[in-house]
Amino acid sequence: MKCEIIVDRDCEERVVIYTREENTLVREIQQLLQRQTGELLGFQDREAVKLDPSDIYYITIVDGKVCAVCEQTTYVLKERLYTLEERLPRFFVKIHQSCLANLKKAERFDASIAGTLKIRFKNGDVDYVSRRQLKAVKERLGI
Amino acid sequence: MNKHVKVFLHRGFLFGGFGPVVMGIAYAVLEKTVLHFSLGGREVLAAILSTYLLAFVQAGASVFNQIESFSLPKALLCHLSLLYVAYIGCYLVNDWIPFEPVVLLIFTIVFLVIYFAVWLTVFLIVRSVGRRMSKKLQE
Repeated sequence: MKCEIIVDRDCEERVVIYTREENTLVREIQQLLQRQTGELLGFQDREAVKLDPSDIYYITIVDGKVCAVCEQTTYVLKERLYTLEERLPRFFVKIHQSCLANLKKAERFDASIAGTLKIRFKNGDVDYVSRRQLKAVKERLGI
Repeated sequence: MNKHVKVFLHRGFLFGGFGPVVMGIAYAVLEKTVLHFSLGGREVLAAILSTYLLAFVQAGASVFNQIESFSLPKALLCHLSLLYVAYIGCYLVNDWIPFEPVVLLIFTIVFLVIYFAVWLTVFLIVRSVGRRMSKKLQE
């Protein structure tokens, strides 16, 4: 793959990749760029979309795939949940083994009948906070 | 397989083994405290199997909490009913209580009182934590 770098102080910085197929190298370049910018790349029907973490309600695992749930759409992410946990802003917190919740998109916490804590998001979705993660969530909220 | 059934089985298999362990501890204490305490092979087998099943159901039944389509009373009723059947079945199989109407009635009342007392205590504590966390969210 040829690589061309054009230095122009007045241009909008962007990276365009021309490729015959989406391969490992392309994905690695994408991930490297995402790590630099703090943005996430979500996929829906093979179409890649830049995601602002603030727009994501929560990131969860559906059928073995890491998915970012937004207002209207759910996007598949190519990154692992534990790498996302490390680089996402502090308003994201792990609520159980398979979910990172955006606290800015959380509406409230409710008690469930089994004595666990439920988190209700502003879009109406509900998930639970595991006992193991409860301390971390409380700390993140400053309790 | 339905995902809730999967969760039920997963939790059951994960924690079912604790039943016979608790039963073993109880029998060890009885052996030390009760004169001429002894058990036959069939009694031990019945106790192991029934307490395994009891712990299996107890752990798995928490799945009712996660079924969003269930209302709170429905989920509570399912949880309570399943535990009641498991407990009373286990007690009868092991002859820990006789199969008599009065005894069964007393067992049922005691079971319900303890169930709701434990449930209410846990629920109120968790609700209090939830309210504090919700308040922090608004800040």
